Amino acid sequence: MNLFELQQGSSRELQLFPHIVSTGCKKNNAIHLESFRETVVDFFRIYNIIDGKHEWRVDEEDLNLYPGDTVLILPGRKLSSPKGFLEIGSLAWIHFKIDSLERAKFFPGKWSSLSESERYTIGNILLMNRSLAPSKTGEASRILASLQSELLNQGIAFHTRVNQLLDELLVAIARELAKEANPGRDFSKIFFQLEQKLRDNLARQWSVEEMAATVGMGTTLFNVRVKSYTGFTPTNYLINLRIAEAIKLLRKQDLNLTDIALDTGFCSSQHFSTTFKKLTGYTPSEFRKRNTGDT
Amino acid sequence: MDCIISIELGTNAVRVYAFDLQGQILGFARGTYPTFHPYPDYSEQDPEQIFITMLYVLKNLLNEKVHSKKHKVISICFSASMHSLLAVDRNGAPLGSLITWADNRGQKEASVLSVSPMAGEIYKATGTPIHPMSPLVKIAWMKDQQPEVFAQTDKFMSLKSYIIQQLTGRVVLDHSLSSATGLMNIYKKEWDPTALGYAGIRADQLPEPVPINYCPGKLLNQYRVSLGVPAATKILVGSSDGCFATLGAGVWDEHKATITIEDSAAVRVIGRDVLSDDKRRLFNYVLDDAHYVSGGPSNSGGVVFEWFAKQFGDFRNAFDLETCMEDLVKEAAAAGPGAERLLFLPYLLGERAPIWNAQARGVFFGVNINHERKHFARAVIEGILYEMYSIERMLLEHRNIKEISVNGSFASIPFCTQLIADIFNLPVRVSANASSVSMGAYLLAATDIGVYKNIEEASRSVTLAETYRPNVRDSRVYAGYFSVFENLTGKLAGDFEALANLA
Repeated sequence: MNLFELQQGSSRELQLFPHIVSTGCKKNNAIHLESFRETVVDFFRIYNIIDGKHEWRVDEEDLNLYPGDTVLILPGRKLSSPKGFLEIGSLAWIHFKIDSLERAKFFPGKWSSLSESERYTIGNILLMNRSLAPSKTGEASRILASLQSELLNQGIAFHTRVNQLLDELLVAIARELAKEANPGRDFSKIFFQLEQKLRDNLARQWSVEEMAATVGMGTTLFNVRVKSYTGFTPTNYLINLRIAEAIKLLRKQDLNLTDIALDTGFCSSQHFSTTFKKLTGYTPSEFRKRNTGDT
Repeated sequence: MDCIISIELGTNAVRVYAFDLQGQILGFARGTYPTFHPYPDYSEQDPEQIFITMLYVLKNLLNEKVHSKKHKVISICFSASMHSLLAVDRNGAPLGSLITWADNRGQKEASVLSVSPMAGEIYKATGTPIHPMSPLVKIAWMKDQQPEVFAQTDKFMSLKSYIIQQLTGRVVLDHSLSSATGLMNIYKKEWDPTALGYAGIRADQLPEPVPINYCPGKLLNQYRVSLGVPAATKILVGSSDGCFATLGAGVWDEHKATITIEDSAAVRVIGRDVLSDDKRRLFNYVLDDAHYVSGGPSNSGGVVFEWFAKQFGDFRNAFDLETCMEDLVKEAAAAGPGAERLLFLPYLLGERAPIWNAQARGVFFGVNINHERKHFARAVIEGILYEMYSIERMLLEHRNIKEISVNGSFASIPFCTQLIADIFNLPVRVSANASSVSMGAYLLAATDIGVYKNIEEASRSVTLAETYRPNVRDSRVYAGYFSVFENLTGKLAGDFEALANLA
C-alpha cells in the first residue's frame, strides 16, 4: 500500500524538480510472492527503512536492514531480495538523477549548491564504499521525511528548501560512510591505507583534495594531520615516495629514464631529473651509473 | 658557530638534531616512514624510502636552521634502531625489504636454536638473546625459507650500514649495532665463527665492525654539494639507539640504571663487565672498548597505552590522540594506586625480557562490577610499569641500583615518572633533553672534537632536571600488586601456549 507516491511526469509536485524521478512512502502489509524481482538500478536511489526487518542484496552483497537504516544504491548496481519478495514493513524512498558520477567529476546537477571541492570529496566517498548501508543515525531519515513534507506542502520557498534538503541528504550519507570507514581515532591506520593506495598508483597525478577524499577527510584537517603525523606536507610526502620508487627502478638496467619518470608520477623526464638532483645531488643517469656497477 | 648534526634512524621516523658545541639544540626535524606487515609475523620497511626521507629531513633542517644562521657543520653522527637486516646483491641493490627488530618470522628457527647445545655458547659470545629479533636468526630463516635470495646475497647489512654506504661508499657497522646482530663476539669485537657457521655465511658477507667513533670517510661529493656542508665535515658512524640513550641519560655509575619508554621500552645499565645470565634473558651490547650496555628490552611500552586510548578513549577532536591520552592519564590519576585491585598484563605484542615469550597476550585480571574506565586506564599504565620493574629485578641480581633516570615520551609523562619512583621505590630523575639518543650522539661527537676528555666525562656532564621521590605508602601497595603480577605472568605461560595452538 503506497501511503503516497510522486512520479516525474505524472505528479504536479515534481514539476520544478526534473532531477527527482520518484519519491514516496510505502507500507507493505502482506507478502506478495515475486514482488521483488532483480532490477539493475537506473538512478540514484535512497531508501529509508521505517518498519520491519528486510533482507536485500546489492550486487553480491547481502544487506540486513532494520528500522532507521538508510540505504544508498548507485546506478548500475543490481538490487534484489534473496527471498524474491518485499518483506512486511514500511519504507520511504527517493530516486533522483545525477548529472555525472565519475570519480573525479561528481556533479549532482545545477540544483545542487555543493562547491566543487565538496562534490569531489563526496563523489569519492560514495564511489569508494561498497557497502552502502550506513548505520542508523536517524539523520538521513529525518532529512528525507522533511524533504517529502516540503514537496507535499509546498510552503514558502519550497523549491529552494527541497534542493537544499537533497544536498543535505547527500552530505549526511557521505559523512556517515566516511565515519564508518574511519571513526576519527587511529590516524596511523588510515594514513597507512593511503600510503598503500599512493604506492599502488604512483603514476597518477594526485591532488591533495583527492588524497584527503581517499581517506574520507576534508582537505584542511587532512593537511594538519599529515603534517603533524609524518613531518611532511602531503605533497612532499608523495614526492619522497616517488623518488624512493625511482631509485629502485634506476637500479634496474632495462627501464629508460622517461618511463621511470612517468611510472613514478613525474610529468616529464625533465621534471624528474630536476627534482631528483635537487634532493640527491645526482641526476638520475649519474645515480644509475654509480649504482649498477656500470662504470 | 660550529655545530654537530645527529641523525637518529628510529623505528618509525628519522629525527635530525643540530647541536651547538655545548649541546644546546639549534634545530630539530623529523619525518616518518611506515612499517609493512605483508604477513602477520612480518615487519618490513622500504630502505629507499628511509634513505630519501632522511635526506629530505636533513636538507630542510640544514637550510632552515643551520645555513640560514651561518652555522658551520663540523660533524654528523648516526644512530639507528637495533637488529635490522637488509640483504643486498653485489651491485649494492637491496634484495627485498628491510626486516626490522619487530619481525617475528624466525620464531621456529629461534626456538630450535635456543634448545640446541650451540645456544649457550652463541649467547655468551655475542651478548644477544636468542630471539627472532636477532639478525642471526633472520639470516638462518632466509637460508631455510628463501634459499635463492640467500644465495644471491653479497652482503647482509643493517639499516645504518646501508645508509652510510649510500653517503660515503663504505660498508661498515659500529660495534654497538654489530653486537646486537647475534653474530659478533663482544669480547674480541670480531664476527664470531660459531654464529657465522650457524647462519651459514662468511665474515666478508657482513659489514666491517668498527668503533662507534670511527669515521668511514667523507660524504660523496654529490651529497656534500646538495646538502651544502663543508668538505671537511666529519662523518661518525655512532652507536645504536639503545646505547646512545643510556649514554645520553648520564647513567655512568654502576648504581644507576636508565629506563627508556617510547613505543617499546628497555631498562639498561652501563658497566665494564658483561652481565652473565644463565637463563639468557639479558643483553650485553658494546658501547666502546671498555664499556658494555646491559639490560632487557620490552615490547610493551607506550604502544600499549596508545592502543588503549585508540580503542576506549574519547576523541574530542578527530584523530587528536595526544589530547585523548592526556585526558586518560588525568582519569587514571583519579583512580587510586592498584586501580582497586585491577591488574593488567601488557603483553599485546608478545614479550621479550624477562619472559621472552612471543605467545604471551594481554590480560585484565580482577575486573569488578565497580570498575570504571579510569581504573582500566590506570591498570594499563601500572601494567606497563610493572613489566619494566620485572626487568629491573633481573638487573638487581647483578647490580645494586640506587637511582633511576628516565627518558622517552611515555616514561617522562609526570604521572608515569612518579609511578616509576613508587613502583621501583627509588628516586627517579628525568632527562632534560628531548631525546637521550641524540644527546648520546652529540656527546660522542663532542668528545671526538675535544670538548670532553673522554666519553665518561661527556656522560657525566649530562644534567638531570627533576627528581621524583617514592611515596613510601604507595610503594608498599605496589609491591603487593607486583607479586600478583609476577605470579600471574608465570602461571599463564601454559595457557598462552594453549591459546596460540587453538585451531
